[in-house]
Amino acid sequence: MAEEFDPAEVKQACERYVKKKGALTFGLANLETLERISPLGCGPSAMLPKVKSVLCVGVGGGTRGAWSADAKTLAYIGDTETMAYRVAYGLAFFLEAKFGYRSIFVPPDMDPEKGARVPLQSMKLHAEIAGIGARSMAGDILLHPEYGMMYYASVFTEMELLPDEPMAENPCPHSSCVKLYHQSGQTPCMRFCPVECLSGSIGDDDKVAEMNYNAHACAEMSQQYEAIPGVLLDTLDAKDPIERGMALHGPENQVIWYKLAIGAGELLALCYECMRVCPITQTAPLGNPIARGAGMRQKIAEAEAAAKAEHAVEQAAEKGD
Amino acid sequence: MAYGVTQQMIDTFGEIVFKLSLNKQTRRGDAVRELDFDILEANRDETGLTDEEIAERIGLLPEQVGVVRVFTERKYHKIDQHRRIYHLGGGKRWKKETYRSPAERLRFNEEAMMLREAINFKPELVARYIDDGYWINETLNGWLTDHAQNTPDAIAIIHPGGEVTYQELKNRVDQLTNGLLSLGLLKSDVVAVQLPNTLDFVVSYLAITAFGGVMQTIHMPYRDADIEFLLGHAQARAVICLPAFKEFQTAEVILSMKDNLNSLKHIITVGDSASEDCQSLQSLMIEGTPEIDNPPVGSDPFLLLYTSGTTSNPKGVPLTYQNMMSNARVSVDEFKMTPADCNLSAAPFSHLYGLFNFHVALNAGATNVLLPAFTPPDLAKMVEATKATTLFLGPAHATAMINAGLMDTHDFSSVRFSVFSGAACPQPMMKTYRDKIPGTRISQLWGMTETAGATYCRFDDAEDIPVRSAGRASPGDEVRVVSPEDGEPLPANTEGDLQVRGCSVFPGYLNNEEANADAFTEDGWFRTGDIAIIDGDGNITITGRTKDVINRGGVKFNPADIEDLLVQHPKVEMVAIVPVPDSALGEKACCVVTLLGEVAVTLEELCILLDEHKIAKNKWPERLEIIDEMPLTPTRKVIKGRLMDQL
Repeated sequence: MAEEFDPAEVKQACERYVKKKGALTFGLANLETLERISPLGCGPSAMLPKVKSVLCVGVGGGTRGAWSADAKTLAYIGDTETMAYRVAYGLAFFLEAKFGYRSIFVPPDMDPEKGARVPLQSMKLHAEIAGIGARSMAGDILLHPEYGMMYYASVFTEMELLPDEPMAENPCPHSSCVKLYHQSGQTPCMRFCPVECLSGSIGDDDKVAEMNYNAHACAEMSQQYEAIPGVLLDTLDAKDPIERGMALHGPENQVIWYKLAIGAGELLALCYECMRVCPITQTAPLGNPIARGAGMRQKIAEAEAAAKAEHAVEQAAEKGD
Repeated sequence: MAYGVTQQMIDTFGEIVFKLSLNKQTRRGDAVRELDFDILEANRDETGLTDEEIAERIGLLPEQVGVVRVFTERKYHKIDQHRRIYHLGGGKRWKKETYRSPAERLRFNEEAMMLREAINFKPELVARYIDDGYWINETLNGWLTDHAQNTPDAIAIIHPGGEVTYQELKNRVDQLTNGLLSLGLLKSDVVAVQLPNTLDFVVSYLAITAFGGVMQTIHMPYRDADIEFLLGHAQARAVICLPAFKEFQTAEVILSMKDNLNSLKHIITVGDSASEDCQSLQSLMIEGTPEIDNPPVGSDPFLLLYTSGTTSNPKGVPLTYQNMMSNARVSVDEFKMTPADCNLSAAPFSHLYGLFNFHVALNAGATNVLLPAFTPPDLAKMVEATKATTLFLGPAHATAMINAGLMDTHDFSSVRFSVFSGAACPQPMMKTYRDKIPGTRISQLWGMTETAGATYCRFDDAEDIPVRSAGRASPGDEVRVVSPEDGEPLPANTEGDLQVRGCSVFPGYLNNEEANADAFTEDGWFRTGDIAIIDGDGNITITGRTKDVINRGGVKFNPADIEDLLVQHPKVEMVAIVPVPDSALGEKACCVVTLLGEVAVTLEELCILLDEHKIAKNKWPERLEIIDEMPLTPTRKVIKGRLMDQL
């Protein structure tokens, strides 16, 4: 059963927990605001009927190295959302275990029944209302003035905690972007979008007046899951064997099957038999966990022996007393 | 369709649904962060709606909206867009802001794909050519670009209008490449060229091939029917020609064919202006570095030549860079050609021999001298004026100059090397020619449209070899002589059917399965149709054509040596011996002649000549036909098929 608690202390405990686990930001979104803004049937209560609080965590974007890598590499390693999910999943368990209130990790998935690109819950909205990010001109990607681009995850709980406010100021557009916009009519994100899915305007107050985002064009490039039915349809519609073969095995589509194969647990690169007989792999001094653990086991044994000896000394002393 | 959705419903509501959905999002101001619910509500339609909200808004069921939306999204969805990021590089590596998908950049016209489908080499042979370094990734434009970069001021071309350096040539080629691209021509599109050996020809050829096009040559003497057949068979998309040539109104005639030639879109005429419905070549000279989306590579076809058709309609012979470039590249060393050479081809560039010669000189970075039209005096003058060092000509060219005494009155001393090809080379002529240029070396080259320069004498060969033979196989090629009966290879010095295999041999005829079936053996040897002898050192001597062989009562003989004798008769200008049907013997020999003068020759007189040379009687012609004009190919080969039809 849930116990009495101090909301401020709980919030601090949650923040300590998530930051220890790797989150950079933490906040609570106002539930009433979320329900009001979310489309019908898309608010938190649609998912957890007795929800009282929405807790949001943000983790940092890619490493500095990722930002310096070429576009293809960055496309693979720029995202850190799994880190955020892991933290939030842990937070849900933490809330239940520590405070006894039912909680859920909010699934970061699309709602197939709601329409194009409609998520089950908008983590972006949660984070923005919780004050740990603000919408940018780059397709409403949230930005944080101290941490830049972040990935977010949410937890719903039946525990009633005190919500935070949205950010007082939006870091976007940056002053240099405003300058570029006035010179060229574009911000860097607009200018460098590979599919030109971004456009908009900055007002006289140097704040966003309008932001246009062609999500279809963006997803067309970056979200392969939408390509799978396309590939299959192209295969069916192919005019000749070469076209059919290209539809399935063309280099642009191979990555799809590669990812599907990973998902299906297929072999990736190794059957490992070469490494099973490789003397370097099999005899490397620190490649063997048993050998690696020997020192630790030795220390444990020594500590146990020492404790035992100490205990024996104590017992002997007691008897002597 | 599901949920009562019709195609009409999709057509009607598709765009509306697509726009209202989260596919398209517009945000005004910063209403969420500022919690300005009035603005949020006012802008809700623009920020993207769920299917339920869209349904409510436009009066469909949510499920119907889903179907309409999916089909509309499908219409717009392209599956390979992630390539854009690969292409763009990202960050400071940003390349071009405009991205074009490979499918768009690398597209081909249907006719071009038909041509490419004719490229059909044997994989095991190709593996060998690549392993041995004959086939590499090289193109004409690559060679030109290299020379323009490395020796920009070297003279690439000498023509009647002056000299052109490699840099100037490259600039002109780039300009015309831009012009041809502006016409929408794509890789492997065929562009026919009917031009003499002029600078316009060279620039056109290099520009067509620079953007990946395929040049089809049309011999200058060809007229209406020949041109229409060739343009139609090749499915040419453009033609570059003179407005008129002599009495022939080239552009006008080709324009009149346009309705029958579905593929033909552009008629380009040399000069600054053009008649209506044509474009001038000059108008296509557009400044700038060409942006070629689909640049040519070594395995691409770049030439479409046609056989001269001595026995049937001309056959289309597509040739790839690897075919022709390898043949030219390996020949440079064999001919000892260097950038210092000044090379003159008397052969037309519309013919493989002329092009082969041009390629060799281009590869070497030498100067190519252009002789627009052969006349003996013009050739002699051009050699003297340009101090040509290498001369590629046919025996007829040399004979004409010798007979006219031009080699005695003009300075030929600069010519260090002369190559003969195109027809049989009489030994006396070869010796005379060599005697006229002390210190020069001579060579015979044998090749066909299908084989390029398959055999030739090397620069260093012993003196007697080029007089009596067409030399050894070009590097990367093999030659053999086989029995006409069983196809088995024959020992040295035995006459038989000549076959060639190697890196310069063509990949198969265009749209001619029947000819292709006959052309090659199972293991890739090309049946040349020539009869030859190969000596112990591998030097070949062509002795005739298999199709010319006469089967007289089961005894077969090659009439070539008889023709060589009869043409020496003082009353005879040209001679051809062809088989005619005979009820008793099956076939017998008919001698067809044109006369040198007014006085007719008799069969008896011809037989006396043969008797004097101890020719066996069964080879004597048994019928004589005197005609006014011998049917000749543009390369001056007798069209025996037409003679037989006439007889």
